[in-house]
Amino acid sequence: MPASTQLGSQLVDLCSVLLLLCCFAIVAQRRLSACVDLFALQSAFLAATAALVAFLTGHKHIYFAAALTIVIKVIVLPRILRKVIERLNVSRELGMNINIPAGLLICGALVIIAFFITQPIIPLGYLLTRDSLAIALAIILIGFFTMIARQKAITQMVGFLVMENGVFLGATAAAYGMPLIVELGVFFDVLVAGLIVGIYTHRLQDTFDSVDTSTLTVLKE
Amino acid sequence: MWPVIVLLTGPVLAGLLSLVIHRARVLHVVNFATMLALAVAETALTRQVLAEGSVTTLGGFVYVDALSDFILVIITAIGLSCSLYMWSYMDDRVARGVIAPKRLGHFFFLFHMFLLAMVAATVANSLGVQWVALEGTTLATTFLIAFFRRRESLEAGWKYLILCSVGIALALFGVVLTYYSSVRVLGDASSALNMTALIGVANQLDPNVLKLAFIFMLVGYGTKVGLVPMHTWLPDAYSEAPAPIAAMLAGVLETVAVYTVLRSKALVDQALPPEFTGNLLLTFGLLSFIVASLFILIQHNYKRLFAYSSIEHMGLAMIGFGVGGMIGTFGGLFHLLNHAVAKALAFFVAGNIHRRFDTLEIDGVRGLARAQPITAVAILVAGCALVGLPPFSPFVSELLVVSAVAAQDFSSDTMHVGRFVTMTISDEMRSLGIVALFLFFAVVLFGGFMFRVGAMVWGTPPAGVARGESWTAGHVPLMIMIVALLGLGFVLPEPIQTLLTRAVNVIVVR
Repeated sequence: MPASTQLGSQLVDLCSVLLLLCCFAIVAQRRLSACVDLFALQSAFLAATAALVAFLTGHKHIYFAAALTIVIKVIVLPRILRKVIERLNVSRELGMNINIPAGLLICGALVIIAFFITQPIIPLGYLLTRDSLAIALAIILIGFFTMIARQKAITQMVGFLVMENGVFLGATAAAYGMPLIVELGVFFDVLVAGLIVGIYTHRLQDTFDSVDTSTLTVLKE
Repeated sequence: MWPVIVLLTGPVLAGLLSLVIHRARVLHVVNFATMLALAVAETALTRQVLAEGSVTTLGGFVYVDALSDFILVIITAIGLSCSLYMWSYMDDRVARGVIAPKRLGHFFFLFHMFLLAMVAATVANSLGVQWVALEGTTLATTFLIAFFRRRESLEAGWKYLILCSVGIALALFGVVLTYYSSVRVLGDASSALNMTALIGVANQLDPNVLKLAFIFMLVGYGTKVGLVPMHTWLPDAYSEAPAPIAAMLAGVLETVAVYTVLRSKALVDQALPPEFTGNLLLTFGLLSFIVASLFILIQHNYKRLFAYSSIEHMGLAMIGFGVGGMIGTFGGLFHLLNHAVAKALAFFVAGNIHRRFDTLEIDGVRGLARAQPITAVAILVAGCALVGLPPFSPFVSELLVVSAVAAQDFSSDTMHVGRFVTMTISDEMRSLGIVALFLFFAVVLFGGFMFRVGAMVWGTPPAGVARGESWTAGHVPLMIMIVALLGLGFVLPEPIQTLLTRAVNVIVVR
C-alpha cells in the first residue's frame, strides 16, 4: 500500500470515528439543544469525510453530496429543530426509558455487534475506507437505540437523523457515494421529514400540552 | 412511453390543481378525471407490457415488467374506486363540520402526492429511487392519517411517521449494501442500482453482502408491509385514518411494500439458494398470520379488526412467496389482488357505518341489515371474502398457497419453523404440520371475524339511528367490488392470468 493511500485511509478512519464519538455524546446528553448541536457537529464531520473521500478518489460528485450535507444537515435542519425547542420551552429530557450509564454501555455493545456483523463482508471493500462500513452500521444501531431510549419528539427525530447519517457514511465511505439521483432524493426526504416533525411537535403541543411521546398512550390494545 | 408519463405527471398536475381550486365539486371532478386518465394509461401500458415483455423508458429511469405492471393495475383500480367513494364520503365530512371546507384541497393534494409516490416506487428502475419513493409515501400519508386532528389521530400519525421512517432507514442501509456489492462488478456507474443492470450480473455479486442486504431490506420494507413484530403502527393508523385513506393504505400501500420485498428477493435469489429468502419470508409470514388471528379475537373496534385482518393476509401472501415455486408465488400474487379489493371494500363499508352510527365500537353497531341494507350486504361479502369462504376469490388464492405449502418438501436442515412445529424427522410431516397450524389459526380467525361481523349485521338498530339507505356515488364502487370478488372466484380473465404468470416468472428463479 503506498504511503499516501495509507495516510488517506487513516484520515477517513479518523473522521468516521469522530462521527461515532458524536453518537456517544448524544446518548450521554440530556439537554435537547445540545443534542441538536451535536447532531450538527456530526453532520459537519460527515461532510468532511465525504470531501476527504472525494479528494482522495477524484470522484467529483461526492463534493456535491458534501455540500448538500453542510447546507441541509449542518445549517437548515438544526435551525428548524432549535426553533421548535425555543417555541416549546422544553430544554431538558427528564424522564428517560434507560438511564445514561446503562445507555452508554448498551451503545458500546452495539458497536461490537456492528463490527461482528460486518466482519465477513469487510474484506470486499475498497482499501481506503474498509473500516468505515462497520462504523456506519454502529452509528445506525446507536441512532436506533436513541429513538427507543428517549421520549421527547425532538430527540427521537435526532435519533432518526443520526441513523440517516450512518447510512450516508456507509454509502460514501464504503461504496464511494450512491448515484447522484438517489442522494438527491434521500436529502429531499430527510428535509421534508424534518419539516413534518416541526409541524407535528406544534400540533402535539397544542393538543397534548406536551411533546413528551410517553403521553401518547390513547391507542393500545 | 406516453402511458408512463401520464402515470407520473397526472398526480402531480392534479395535486397542484387541488391547491388552487376551492369548489368541492370541481375538486372531485378533477380527482375522478385524473384517476380515469391513470386507469386508461395503465390499460395501454399493460397492453404494451403483454406485447413486449417489459418496458424501459425515460432514459432508463423507468422499468416496467409484468410484476410492476400487475402492481400498477392494483394501484389504479383501487385508486379509481376510491375517488368515487371519496365523492360522497368527503362531502359528508365537510357537511358535518368534521373538516373545514378549505382543507378539502389539502386533502386531495396529499392524496395525489401519496399516489405519485406509490406509482414512482413501482415503476422505478433504480432500487435507490424506489427507496426514496417509498419513504415519500410515509411523508405524504402521515398527515392524511392525522387529517381529522383528533388526539388519537395525531398519536397514530406520529407513531406511523416514526416507526416507518426508522424501518425504512434500515432498508436504505440494505440498498447501500446492495450497491456496495454491485459496484465491485459493474464498476462505479450510476446504473449500479438499476434492476435492469443488476439482474444480469446478480450471480456474480457477493452472497454474504446480499444476505445482509436482504435482511435489512426485509425488516425495513416489512415495517411498511406491517409484518409482525414491526406491525404496531398499523392498527392505530388504519383505525384513525379517514375511511378512503385506510382503504388505500391497506389495499395499495401494503401491496407496493410487498412489491419492494419481492424485487429484492428476485435479486438475492440469483446469488443464493432460494431457501434463504424463502425461509425468512415463511417465518415472518407464519408469525404474522398467527399473531394477527389471535389479536382479531380481542378486537372491539371494527376498523382495528380489519387492520389486523390486513396483517394476517399479508402474512398469508408472504407464506406463499416463502414457499415459492410456481404455485406458491402465483397464489401469493393473486392474493395481493384479492386482498386489495376485499380490504378496500371493508374500509369503504367501515366508512359508511361510521357515518351512520357515529362510533367505531363493534358493540355500538347493531342491526346494520335494517339501518343500511346495501352496506350490510357489502360487509357480509367483505367478511366472507376476508375469512376465505368460497365462492369469493380470496378462497382460491388461499387454497393455492395452502396446497403449495403441503406439496413442498422442505430440506431438513433449513426448515426451522417446521422443526419447531412438528418435532419429527419426516419432511412430509413437517409441511403437513405447517398446513395444520395454518388451518387451525384460519379457523380461529374465521370464528373471531364472523362473530364480530354477524354481531353488527343482525339485531335492532339502536335508538336514534336512521333506517334505510339511498344510493349515492359512493355505492357504485361497493357494487363493482362485490362483483369483482365473486367473478374472480370463478374466472380469471385472460390478460390478468397472462400478466400473473409472467410476474411469477420474474420472481421465481430456475
